[in-house]
Amino acid sequence: MAELSVENVRLRLGGMEILKGVSMELERGQVVALLGPSGSGKTTLLRAVAGLEQPFAGRISLGGRPVFDAGARIDLPAEKRNLGLVFQSYALWPHRTVFDNVAYGLKLRGVGSGEIRQRVEQVLGQIGLGQHAGRFPHQLSGGQQQRVALARALVYSPPVILLDEPLSNLDAKLREEARAWLRELIVTLHLSALCVTHDQVEAMAIADRILLLNAGQVEQAGTPQEMYGAPKSLFVAEFMGANNRLDGTLAERRDGYAALAVAGKAQDEPLLWGRMQGERAAGGPATGIVRLESVRPADGPGENRLGLELVTSMYLGERWEYLFHRGPLKVRAYGDRELAPGRHWLEFPPDRVWLF
Amino acid sequence: MRNTLLGAAVAGLLALPAMAQTVPEGYPASYKDTIAAAVKEGKVVVYSSTDAAQVRPLLDDFKTLYPNVTVEYNDLNSTELYNRFISEAAAGAGSGDVLWSSAMDLQIKLVNDGYAQAYESPELKALPQWSVWKNEAFGTTFEPVIFIYNKRLVPDGDVPKTHADLAKLLEAKAAEYKGKVTAYDPERSGVGYLFVTQDAAVSPGARDLFRAFGKSGIKLYTSAGAMLERVTSGEHLIGYNIFGSYALTRSKKDPNIGIVYPEDYTLVMSRVAFIPKAAKNPNAAKLFLDYVLSKRGQTLVANQAELFSIRDDVAGEATAKAVNAKLGDKVKPIKVGPELLSTLDQTKRLTFIKQWQQAMQGK
Amino acid sequence: MRTSFPRISVILVTALVVLAPLGLVFYQSFLDNPFFAPKIQFTLSAYEYVLTDEDFHSAFLNSLMIATGMTAIAVPLGGILAFLVVRTDLPGRRWLEPLLLLPVFLSPVVLAFGYVVAAGPVGFLSLPAEAWFGFVPWDIYSITGLVLVAGLTHVPHVYLYASSALRGVSSDLEEAARVGGAGPWRVAIDVSLPMVMPALLYAGVLVFFLGFELFGLPLVLGDPQGILVMSTYLYKLTNLLGTPSYQLMAVVVVALVFVTFPLVVLQRTLLRQAGKYVTMKGKGARQTPLKLGGWKWLALGLLALWLVATVVIPLAGIGLRSVVSSWGRGVTLADQLTLAHYRDLWEYPNLIRGILNTLGIGVIGGALSVACYTAVALAAHRWPSRWVRLLDFLVLVPRAMPGLVAGLAILWIFLFVPGLGYLKSTMISVWIAYSVVWLAYGMRLISSALLQVAPELEEGARVVGAGPHRVNLDVTIPLIRFGLLGSWLLIFMIFVREYSTGIYLLGPGTEVIGSLLVSLWGTGDIDLISALSVINVAMVGVGLLAALRLGVRLHG
Repeated sequence: MAELSVENVRLRLGGMEILKGVSMELERGQVVALLGPSGSGKTTLLRAVAGLEQPFAGRISLGGRPVFDAGARIDLPAEKRNLGLVFQSYALWPHRTVFDNVAYGLKLRGVGSGEIRQRVEQVLGQIGLGQHAGRFPHQLSGGQQQRVALARALVYSPPVILLDEPLSNLDAKLREEARAWLRELIVTLHLSALCVTHDQVEAMAIADRILLLNAGQVEQAGTPQEMYGAPKSLFVAEFMGANNRLDGTLAERRDGYAALAVAGKAQDEPLLWGRMQGERAAGGPATGIVRLESVRPADGPGENRLGLELVTSMYLGERWEYLFHRGPLKVRAYGDRELAPGRHWLEFPPDRVWLF
Repeated sequence: MRNTLLGAAVAGLLALPAMAQTVPEGYPASYKDTIAAAVKEGKVVVYSSTDAAQVRPLLDDFKTLYPNVTVEYNDLNSTELYNRFISEAAAGAGSGDVLWSSAMDLQIKLVNDGYAQAYESPELKALPQWSVWKNEAFGTTFEPVIFIYNKRLVPDGDVPKTHADLAKLLEAKAAEYKGKVTAYDPERSGVGYLFVTQDAAVSPGARDLFRAFGKSGIKLYTSAGAMLERVTSGEHLIGYNIFGSYALTRSKKDPNIGIVYPEDYTLVMSRVAFIPKAAKNPNAAKLFLDYVLSKRGQTLVANQAELFSIRDDVAGEATAKAVNAKLGDKVKPIKVGPELLSTLDQTKRLTFIKQWQQAMQGK
Repeated sequence: MRTSFPRISVILVTALVVLAPLGLVFYQSFLDNPFFAPKIQFTLSAYEYVLTDEDFHSAFLNSLMIATGMTAIAVPLGGILAFLVVRTDLPGRRWLEPLLLLPVFLSPVVLAFGYVVAAGPVGFLSLPAEAWFGFVPWDIYSITGLVLVAGLTHVPHVYLYASSALRGVSSDLEEAARVGGAGPWRVAIDVSLPMVMPALLYAGVLVFFLGFELFGLPLVLGDPQGILVMSTYLYKLTNLLGTPSYQLMAVVVVALVFVTFPLVVLQRTLLRQAGKYVTMKGKGARQTPLKLGGWKWLALGLLALWLVATVVIPLAGIGLRSVVSSWGRGVTLADQLTLAHYRDLWEYPNLIRGILNTLGIGVIGGALSVACYTAVALAAHRWPSRWVRLLDFLVLVPRAMPGLVAGLAILWIFLFVPGLGYLKSTMISVWIAYSVVWLAYGMRLISSALLQVAPELEEGARVVGAGPHRVNLDVTIPLIRFGLLGSWLLIFMIFVREYSTGIYLLGPGTEVIGSLLVSLWGTGDIDLISALSVINVAMVGVGLLAALRLGVRLHG
């Protein structure tokens, strides 16, 4: 049975419809990431689940029990839903010590002080902050604050914890470490979690399933591999990963593949073949998407190869990134050495090119 | 202050058995019942427009006399006093047991509207006839309405002795006294209106004087404080129709204030007291009223409160006796009686104010 | 769907407390006699009288002029002073701030009288000026003088709002302008002040509003020239017909309420537009003081000039008056020195009680009022609802009633509502009157403290399992505790100087200094008034010092 299920939820804020009928499920022990650009409604959905925003239609159930049902006029206030929520800003109460911040949820649940002490110490131990119980939030670093916020949400063992951009306030290096630490914690504690993020790498790293939202609707849902490897729409394809975008006209279709005449194509240049996603008639405009890592510099012209001018090579440490262009067409690619200036051939493997 | 209070309390306790029974000299024997009833009531609520500070000697002395009757003294201005009383009366809520106000006309209106109870005070015979109406309203003071001037800045020769002198001075030395005379604004102040209408009634030359005021750019105020202060500072030089009592108090502290009792006529006003029908403590109210009118009370009224005693048998500077001796038949007391009601007649009031406004423009 | 019952009931109670007196006044305005008179008739004659009365027209125009003029003075000056104190390295700004606020806490009657002693026609400043120039180059009794005094003394109101808004603006914006080549002056005009425009406009509306109900200043300064404003016109109506004509006074109040209405609407619009200044964050804005460099002395000079004109001169006036027996033309002040007034004050019968009551209403009453204002502010907190819009209007309405009328109306409520009678003439009734009259001011203080609380802190507690009341008790109120302490202090000082509201509710045992002052003003005991004022000012001063020692942030 789904730990959390959201059915056709619609929600308005300030006269604008932010969620236009969103449905999703979260199984026990699973992590679902809500991914999407800003304004897509992902945080609003999380807040609706938490009971902090009020939809006008749809149902939300936790462990089979409806907590919101517009039809049945059920709307459990946030404090009755027994969820854990980690805010983007952590929202630690500045007037309380770390211990009191974490203990508050237990106190509200009428837990005896002895047990509170024991459980808070246990959870602080788990997050590695056992020594800091007596400090105030402003005396902690950003990473430590983030852990306290997590401890505060975990301490009363809610069936689902909600994470709103949990890592976005950390700097880049810390973020990668925290990401691994968070995934480890989720796995070892068998948590069910709903996690909002705008970072697709973070979503893929943490989540078992990803829900990509666009303008208040679910664009595509699936495992990280499905989302990354088999995008169903241009939006998904473009959102996941780092991409090259090739605009042109659809020249030919055959067996699920199609050929794209890239804008500004020279007479002798071959068509670019790729997997056809969705229905589009030949002769119309089309867009090809290809991940950066799928583009390979080649030694000469050939099938599915384009010749472009190198603009620059950038050294990234473990590899090089190249920037090519030809007229309006810009292509980026990775390689393991510095390229000489001038014209180069790039190969676009047909199975790695999606045409929309 | 605590010591005096304590002393008074101790004295009161010691004197208790004797005092409670003592009927003041000359009072009927039955007065001891009034005293007993008053002691049972335990307090008297006084609404007064006179500053608590000014009448403090009276209140202290009343306390020594009747230690078991507490005076709750409410110090309000005369308009507030009126507003509060009629509101409380209409609501049937507790109000003052004695109303004591310098707004003679408003007091008479309340009496005329039937709010007062008649009381045959044992002190009646000591009071002048004009000061009592229907045994309900009692004049308690004899306060001349006088001129003041700044002794530093007004040369002796300029000091006006009569109303006519004042008019002449303003004409003769128009430049020196431009904007230097001050008076109550009859449009904004109740007593101010009362005084100038009395002027108009008593003196045929009043209109001319008012016109002279208008031409001299007189400054009109709503409070005695503002006028006294501005005359002593020299911002203004002469104050017209000022309460003699306030001026006398001030002149004792500040030698710069000169006082003139106008020799052609001097108006005299009297603070009017009455006991409301609905008084919750009527016997204590009687005790208080009688005390204020008594020789003992009036002696303090004259010599400590400087409010001018209304009784002929009290000696001192601030007494009817002294004022009468100085001015004889030029003393024109404002009669405590229904005549005052005409001051409140709206048509007459608006007509008079129109005339006054014309006079202020020198017309 | 979620129940809002507690919120609605708090708002309804507020509405009742605010609208009951006002409703009574409205009702009275349509009658021909006091509403409690045995025979009353509905009539519009009171409206007819007032609206056609020339005095009303001139009073209205004067009020309009004064309100406009003082807004034009107070808003730019308050904004600039706030910029100097909050955003620059002006020397001594720490201790200048409490001085800046001082005029708010001085009774206007006292302030005005201080000006008379100092700068009136024979004031101790005017006489030397006259000797020098041959005439006194100013006239504080004119409309211009009144506008100037009113404008200068209302600078602190603007300062309060502007400074707390400025504290929220990140320094980056100013530094960017500085790097781009703007001097401090240009930075203030082009960047900082436009950033806090909503706060400035809000303060402007408030000051305009206060201009309309100005009473103490025109009572003292407008008297000699007979300059009438709305509130002194009201006074005049009291006497015009001999007996107080409540219906006429009521009409004036109704007129004032109608002036309020568009102002409240304007205020709301201004606040809605405030959304475009999103860079203003409640917290986290980095602040580094702007280096003034050579401008420092000019700025300090400006501030000192204002302080001298608004605080030093009137206080010197009142202080001087309290230690001399006479003053003015031809007086050598050194010969007149005396401490007799303070000695006499000691003899004043109700003084000790007056001081104790004043402290009591300030300390205890102030705390209770802050508690009530907090309850009301919390009821409206983060609740987008029509009820809240109603509340916004409600809280400003009592400001439309001059204190004296509000006091009378509240007396009527206590008299004519069964079961309330026993509260009349107790400090409770005085406290209710004060709380109602200062509702708008107090609410504004607390809501601005509430604005500083990030919503997640409250939502966090909700999710963890706390109901709305627990959230208020455990999170919101502890978070704004410094703001509340600051509000308490401001309300303390306001209550200590309040003078007109309590007059009708005073009795033995409920006297407060402010009302004693007004009562003494009538009979002329200015010796006592000045000594009492000095004590009153000292109380306010001690309050301010205590606040500073306690480290209370005055801006909430």
